[in-house]
Amino acid sequence: MTITTLIPLPIANPLIAAAFIALTGNWIGRRASDSIAIASAGANLIFALLILRGTWYHPYVYWFGNWWPRSNNVVLGICFSIDAIGAALAVLVSLLTTAALIFSWKIFNDTENHLQPLMLIFMAAMCGFSYTGDLFNLFVFFELMSVSAFALCGLKTLEPAPLQGAFNFAVVNTIGAFMILIGIGLLYARTGALNFAEVGRSLGTRSDALVLVAFLLISVGYFAKAAIVPFHFWLADAHSVAPTPVCVLFSGIMVELGIYAVARIYWTIFRAPLASHAPELRNILLVIAAVTSLLGGFMCYVEHHLKRLLAFSTISHAGLMLAGVGLLTSKALAGFVIYVLSHGLIKGGLFLCAGIILHRLQKIGESHLHGRGRGMWFTASLFILGAMGLAASGPFGTLLGENMISEAAKEVGQGWFAYIFMFVEIVTGAAVLRATFRIFFGWGKPAPTDKSSQVDEAPETKQGGGTPALMFLPAAALILLGICISGMPQLRSIAHANAELFINQTSYASSVLNNLQLAAPEPIESGPLTASIIRCLTAGLLAFLMAFATVFRDRLGMALSFTRRLELGNSLLRQVHSGHPGDYVAWLTFGTALLGGVFVWFLR
Amino acid sequence: MILAHVPYFVAAWIFLWGLYGIVTSKNLVHQVICLAIVQTSTYVLLLAVGFKTGGTAPVFADIPVGTVVVDPLVQALMLTDVVVEATVMALLLSMVVKANELVGTIDPEELKIMQG
Repeated sequence: MTITTLIPLPIANPLIAAAFIALTGNWIGRRASDSIAIASAGANLIFALLILRGTWYHPYVYWFGNWWPRSNNVVLGICFSIDAIGAALAVLVSLLTTAALIFSWKIFNDTENHLQPLMLIFMAAMCGFSYTGDLFNLFVFFELMSVSAFALCGLKTLEPAPLQGAFNFAVVNTIGAFMILIGIGLLYARTGALNFAEVGRSLGTRSDALVLVAFLLISVGYFAKAAIVPFHFWLADAHSVAPTPVCVLFSGIMVELGIYAVARIYWTIFRAPLASHAPELRNILLVIAAVTSLLGGFMCYVEHHLKRLLAFSTISHAGLMLAGVGLLTSKALAGFVIYVLSHGLIKGGLFLCAGIILHRLQKIGESHLHGRGRGMWFTASLFILGAMGLAASGPFGTLLGENMISEAAKEVGQGWFAYIFMFVEIVTGAAVLRATFRIFFGWGKPAPTDKSSQVDEAPETKQGGGTPALMFLPAAALILLGICISGMPQLRSIAHANAELFINQTSYASSVLNNLQLAAPEPIESGPLTASIIRCLTAGLLAFLMAFATVFRDRLGMALSFTRRLELGNSLLRQVHSGHPGDYVAWLTFGTALLGGVFVWFLR
Repeated sequence: MILAHVPYFVAAWIFLWGLYGIVTSKNLVHQVICLAIVQTSTYVLLLAVGFKTGGTAPVFADIPVGTVVVDPLVQALMLTDVVVEATVMALLLSMVVKANELVGTIDPEELKIMQG
């Protein structure tokens, strides 16, 4: 199968399968629908891997309908411009969807078979999103991804909480989508083009108010998807109520694709106009990333609803990934890619483990679950491995990502970001470890209850004895893959080389518009890991100590009562996450205005 | 000329007015309709971008090639936008109906089940 026939398949295959299941689901029954969905997702994984192999050495440009640019370089068609980074993201999408669909075999739907077609459409949209080379095509796949996500989030329609979560999710993300569309309209008005390469070429280096406003709106729209503060409020509500396999996809890849979109659009379109202000832009993005990481970390530690805890840790790590993109260097971008891949696998595995807990113990709040997980040794070990993966303290891919981003930060004089990294590693690792100690080992007193941990999920499965293999194997496979990815030889060098290609605007334009076959990127030497290993192992140790101190604070005396304060959190901060969609949109508007003011002040 | 820029001001006004409606709303159905209003601002903007003074409809069946026409591409973008809006509104309104069935209210203040 040549690559030309392969490329449309990751989009077409799930859409056809989804339509088939939606049409015939009532006749063929639940198990046949599940099997077709898993087969389609598995086939997508194989296609995505073959495409990755085909684009490993140089990017491939595929023009739909053979509408390649004719005579005077005017682009009339829509292209998929696939490089190794986009292809790797599509592999992650297919892998996570396959694992999630295998996990969902055991979940009962009280509604009709809506989960499988929606998941397949979600997967198709995310694959298209990673591959595309056209601004409006990106927007269309973004909307397809978003609408199927809204429907998946609110799938459990017999309870009121999922409706609130899905509604908040939908309102905030749809407004983000409108902002992206306005940005696209403005860019089209200026350049008359929608293809990344052509817009970049037509825009040249002019930077005026329109370019800034377009950049602002497009960034804000994708940041709303990426749950960057202050556009992040929807994520915790959505994750608390979505079915477990859906949460895997949300945290594993959907959020990260928002940051990928900003990276792609910046490097192909806005790099040249904003080149004279690149250091200021770097500082702005780093500050946003730091605020996101800190806020996400604080809120993560105060949550006692397992899925909400993991959701806030996703926000925190999204801040780190934004820093990878915001440092505006190829090394940091390579770190971002490695971090996305490994974080997606580990977070996906952790969400599946939370789903196993929900299945075995029929509850999801830390206080209700105290000590009831005793005996579930395999799940406990997966949780501990996942926590160490979040803390990057061990042979995890996140360690390599942290290494590249921190080194890149030091190279541009922003070495302080390594401390933000450590903070996130300590706090998010400690939160998951604290939950493990309380649930699986029964140490200490039960967790304090708060309003959000009282929101219980109706059990998704029939409770039976033992953990079914169909639930355990995907969780274990994802976390083990998160470990194995760090063992891949020369991963950092290859990622760095591909990132160099990613940020090269002229070679991207040549390969898309002039059909230039680019040379294979040479792997770039990567530095020693020692400093990172020391930082991350320290972070892991501190995470363990913090979790111990929180769990055993009654026995350890008054000196450690600050952990109680830390665990209850700041009531103002908690009130701000109010659950009211009007509040979220107010913060979105405020954030846009603030960011706009900052852009006008620093980037003119 | 300021007159030529009126559509852009209209688009900005509708966008901000719709946002204000969402932020201060006390009724979920009202919020969804305000979301639709925010979307209409994108239509106005896209069509304003594509308009050419003196241009006619972009169908070359009966006019000679080379006549000034308005841009058909933004019209295609707008139609895609309409389809997306229809889907999102339908989804959101069905969620509001379900919320009313389960909780008995469509006031977002009452529906704040998850907080913090």
